[in-house]
Amino acid sequence: MEHPILFISIILEKLGLPIPHGPVGHGLIEQLCAPYMTYTWFTMIFLVVVGKLTLGNLEMVPGKGQNFWEILIGGMDDFFVENMGRELTDKLFPMIATFALYIAVANLIGLIPGFMSPTSSINTTLALTLIVWVTHHIIGIRANGLAYVKHFLGPMPVLIPLMLPIELISNFARLLSLSIRLFGNIMAKETLLGILFMLAGAYFAPLPIMVLGVLVSLVQAMVFVLLTVVYFTQSNEHAH
Amino acid sequence: MSKMSKEMIHLLGNYGHIGFTFVAAIFIGMGGGIYLDQKVFDDRTTPWFTFIGLAFGIAAGFKSLFDIIKQQNKEFENQDKDKD
Repeated sequence: MEHPILFISIILEKLGLPIPHGPVGHGLIEQLCAPYMTYTWFTMIFLVVVGKLTLGNLEMVPGKGQNFWEILIGGMDDFFVENMGRELTDKLFPMIATFALYIAVANLIGLIPGFMSPTSSINTTLALTLIVWVTHHIIGIRANGLAYVKHFLGPMPVLIPLMLPIELISNFARLLSLSIRLFGNIMAKETLLGILFMLAGAYFAPLPIMVLGVLVSLVQAMVFVLLTVVYFTQSNEHAH
Repeated sequence: MSKMSKEMIHLLGNYGHIGFTFVAAIFIGMGGGIYLDQKVFDDRTTPWFTFIGLAFGIAAGFKSLFDIIKQQNKEFENQDKDKD
């Protein structure tokens, strides 16, 4: 397939930096210049700059920018409290809210020609998933101590040899399903858009897919956050 | 956000990942079995651990399915309590 035009890669190439031609490069600099890395940084810079511009000086009577963030953050806070409880939300809100904003922006950015979604690379989604997966075990161990092992032993002592592998497998399956779902959805969207642009871009053929893409992007970001919240809640509560 | 779309997103989040979770559990189980057969026991036990892993994987798939349904039921009960 023809390679899509990515403007950051072109700028970097003009600056004389090596751009990998495969999905991942060889040397360190080449790996750092891979499109999904540069667009991850772009998303980060975008979020930081927009946040700084709209929230530069907080006021008692919020203006346009501050109003938007207050509704967004307030809504997310309500949602987390509803699902995880106040205590856990206060501890983990920065992390999960950052994930939500980052994934939503990273998904949506791919709809603009010249950009790509960093989440359409398995490396990005696997990194996010690993953070969530490790964190939910840390939460479990901190909340339950050694009794956290009981989460993996099933309801009865007799069933331990049967339940332990099953519980372990379903726990590792979380790692796989969480990362591959986000990656698969976004990559499918990107590839479909790329092909349609190439075939019939002049006749607005990709337009319906773009509308669906907005929906998929937001829903996937929400699903990721919802599942993160569910996993954290489950590992925080006592074993049955 | 209206009540309807909020519930819709909740249901999407809860049920939308059933397929992926089920397949992932089977893949992990069978992958573990194949790894045990080929790398740990050097092909001496060849078909056995693969099949055992596959069986455990399918069981784990059904177990996570069961968990999702159980969790959703709990949420519905909580909602009913809130309404009363």
